[in-house]
Amino acid sequence: MGEVIVSMEHITKEFPGVKALDDVHFELRSGEVMALLGENGAGKSTLMKILSGVYTLDAGTLSIFGKQYGSLTPNSAREAGVAIIHQELNMCRHLTVCENMFLGREMRSGFMLNNREMENIAKKYLDELGVDINPRQVVGDLPVSKQQMIEIAKALSINARILIMDEPTSALTSREIEELFQIIRRLKSQGCGIVYISHRLEELSHIADRVTIMRDGQYITDGNFTDFTMDEIIANMVGREIKEKFPRVQCPKGKKVFEIRNLNAGRLVRDINFSLYEGEIVGFAGLMGAGRTETTRAIFGVDPKESGEIYLDGKEITIRNPMDAIRQGVVLAPEDRKKDGLCTKLSIRQNIALPNLDVIAGKSGVINRKVEDELCDKAVQELSIKTPNLEVDAATLSGGNQQKVVVAKWLARNSRVVIFDEPTRGIDVGAKVEIYHLMNQLKKQGIAVMFVSSEMPEVMGIADRIIVMCDGRITGELMSEEATQNEILRMATSFENKMSASGGAQ
Amino acid sequence: MEKKKSFIGRLMDTKGAGSVLTAFIGLIIIYIAFGILNPKVFSVKNIQNLLRSMSKYLLIGIGQSFVMITGNIDLSIGSVVGMSAMISATLMTRGMNPILAILITIVCGLVVGVVNGFLVGKFKLPPFIATLGTMFVARGVGYIVNGNRNTDNIASGIGKEAGDRFQDIFYYGKFLGVFNTFWIALIIFIIFFFLLSRTRTGRHIYAIGSNVDAARLSGVDVVMTTTKAYLVSAFCSVVVGFVLAAQSGMGNMDAGNMYEMYGVAAGVIGGVSPLGGSGILLGTFAGAGVWQTLENGLNMIHAQVGFQRIVIGVIVVASVLLDVVVRNSNRSFKKKK
Repeated sequence: MGEVIVSMEHITKEFPGVKALDDVHFELRSGEVMALLGENGAGKSTLMKILSGVYTLDAGTLSIFGKQYGSLTPNSAREAGVAIIHQELNMCRHLTVCENMFLGREMRSGFMLNNREMENIAKKYLDELGVDINPRQVVGDLPVSKQQMIEIAKALSINARILIMDEPTSALTSREIEELFQIIRRLKSQGCGIVYISHRLEELSHIADRVTIMRDGQYITDGNFTDFTMDEIIANMVGREIKEKFPRVQCPKGKKVFEIRNLNAGRLVRDINFSLYEGEIVGFAGLMGAGRTETTRAIFGVDPKESGEIYLDGKEITIRNPMDAIRQGVVLAPEDRKKDGLCTKLSIRQNIALPNLDVIAGKSGVINRKVEDELCDKAVQELSIKTPNLEVDAATLSGGNQQKVVVAKWLARNSRVVIFDEPTRGIDVGAKVEIYHLMNQLKKQGIAVMFVSSEMPEVMGIADRIIVMCDGRITGELMSEEATQNEILRMATSFENKMSASGGAQ
Repeated sequence: MEKKKSFIGRLMDTKGAGSVLTAFIGLIIIYIAFGILNPKVFSVKNIQNLLRSMSKYLLIGIGQSFVMITGNIDLSIGSVVGMSAMISATLMTRGMNPILAILITIVCGLVVGVVNGFLVGKFKLPPFIATLGTMFVARGVGYIVNGNRNTDNIASGIGKEAGDRFQDIFYYGKFLGVFNTFWIALIIFIIFFFLLSRTRTGRHIYAIGSNVDAARLSGVDVVMTTTKAYLVSAFCSVVVGFVLAAQSGMGNMDAGNMYEMYGVAAGVIGGVSPLGGSGILLGTFAGAGVWQTLENGLNMIHAQVGFQRIVIGVIVVASVLLDVVVRNSNRSFKKKK
């Protein structure tokens, strides 16, 4: 075991309203792969962003190779030897491999770029990794796995000794994963320290030396990987059971309202089958990138479907675009409110009225101000949206109130199915509870509610039935009273086995 | 509901009312300033002329504003103006009934609008490129219709009486002491003002300009809405083509050159954001007014044409710069809180 090269003690980081990191301890030694584990939102990325200088820390000490740093900037972190290989690769797709590797630190002779020299150096580092890539190739033409290798080569070329890999295998095939692991082992033997973030727990046995587990912004434990069982790791990630802060109403399960059969749409929506009934909320759990958002988008007609049938109240319906869906009574409150949910430059009135203009304007197409006022006033009151008046821009509201506007848009209609995609992301506890009450209200009215959420306690607390997705497929279904977080997490990580049993023996 | 508000009160509540007010105040200041330099500016005759020449920019501005509010741009406006003048004049010099000639020309112009709308809305071409293409095509059509020549006087085809009537209706005639051109522009302005502020289509236009993804997810037909905006733009351009044909009594191949940019300027001075989602047509009205008052005033004090251009350029940039500066200082103020 090598010497300690990164030591982070008592790290605290606050964002407005949330304590993202609270007294976190983290240590990395040279020549090891440290797996950093935790659920979505546990603070892993925030911690690594502090190490790579993207965020500054509020309190705590940070030392790299024994040298203390008060705060890091991306540049000083790079000089200290830290490099991060992002989940979404950060490369200019139209430039060549060599141009990408030397972006921002191009070599020149006089005023001219010294392309030959740069290409030689690029080639040298790529060879060192044992990958066969021509430095003159355009990055966008290469498969993702090769792009990742280029990122790693780039990191090495700037003398990085601490490599942070965030979900590096999520887009790779099993052979590519094996290649990646070989490279990781080679880097280890050269004395690099590697921080490895992954939700694919089954991979860890092939690669991890030690683990650090985080939960809710706090350090939970660390130790040698072999000292933990998989169950212990999951238990530490998930922590205690919380069910109380979720209001629940009981109502009898009614008839089937909505059914999806054999839905396929792209890599992340594979053969999806499920039904929604009156009087129940169906939670969709899973890790990020499990395909839940993609499923909602395919159902709602935003993204094209390859195949599949949709039944509403027993009759087959066709949804080719969101308009079709809305007319039939299927609505979606989307995940990313800034991108998909709100017209931030428009007033609250205009946002709430937008999907309901067919009601407000009638056949003539002229907006009836009175009907609009009533509809908007009612929505604002029912959801207790805190706003000075209806005319202020949606962008000026707080996150929670913006989310309420997104939801309010859809409640004025007589819908049959309401799909919520991460309705409580990034909003405070009070607003969350109001959203829960609202879902319960819909449930009581006999409206089918589909509720996608990455926060497991929330899914377990609100949903009556939970469907778990992983990698574009439904991997499990359970009633929430018999669900445990461990069980859900196991389903959510049951990837198709990409690693062969023999692969990666050390 | 105690908050019964007057039309004006309601208008002042709407977003962008501030920049409209600024533009109107600017308009008044400019007008009075020039009036002090040359009292003839205040004469009835000058006011009549001012309103008439402003009408062209108002119409162009309405069209370009519709497109800008959807977050796009229409570079084909000037060419459609020219095409309209050429087609209508050519048809009339061949003796076609003016009303029929007008209708045919309108259809031709609307075809350009539909093409623009589909290229941008359906095929997602960058609007700059799509309308650059239709700009060249429309200008080319304008050249070809009369065999690469300006047309003869329209009276040569439809007779002096009908020719005079066409020129009167669109340019030389007066109603209640104001030139018809202004009345035509005003009626079109009121119709489209209503369309934009009070109808479903209007809302959809703002929505796709503000956030096209959110609009689509709310059930807005993006292709249709984009096309409607380009249709408004094409229609306004065609009408300006008639005005120019009436003014000169013939079709001029280069009529309407650069008008698309005048439209941008009129909208922007009045607070229409070229990034989409905000602005009201009343602003465009004020913008066209500011511009024409400037041009008129500079003419009255015998400033050179080059100097006029410089002043207008400065005004366009300054009005947007003012807006940006005000907004940024608001934002940093909010952050501090």
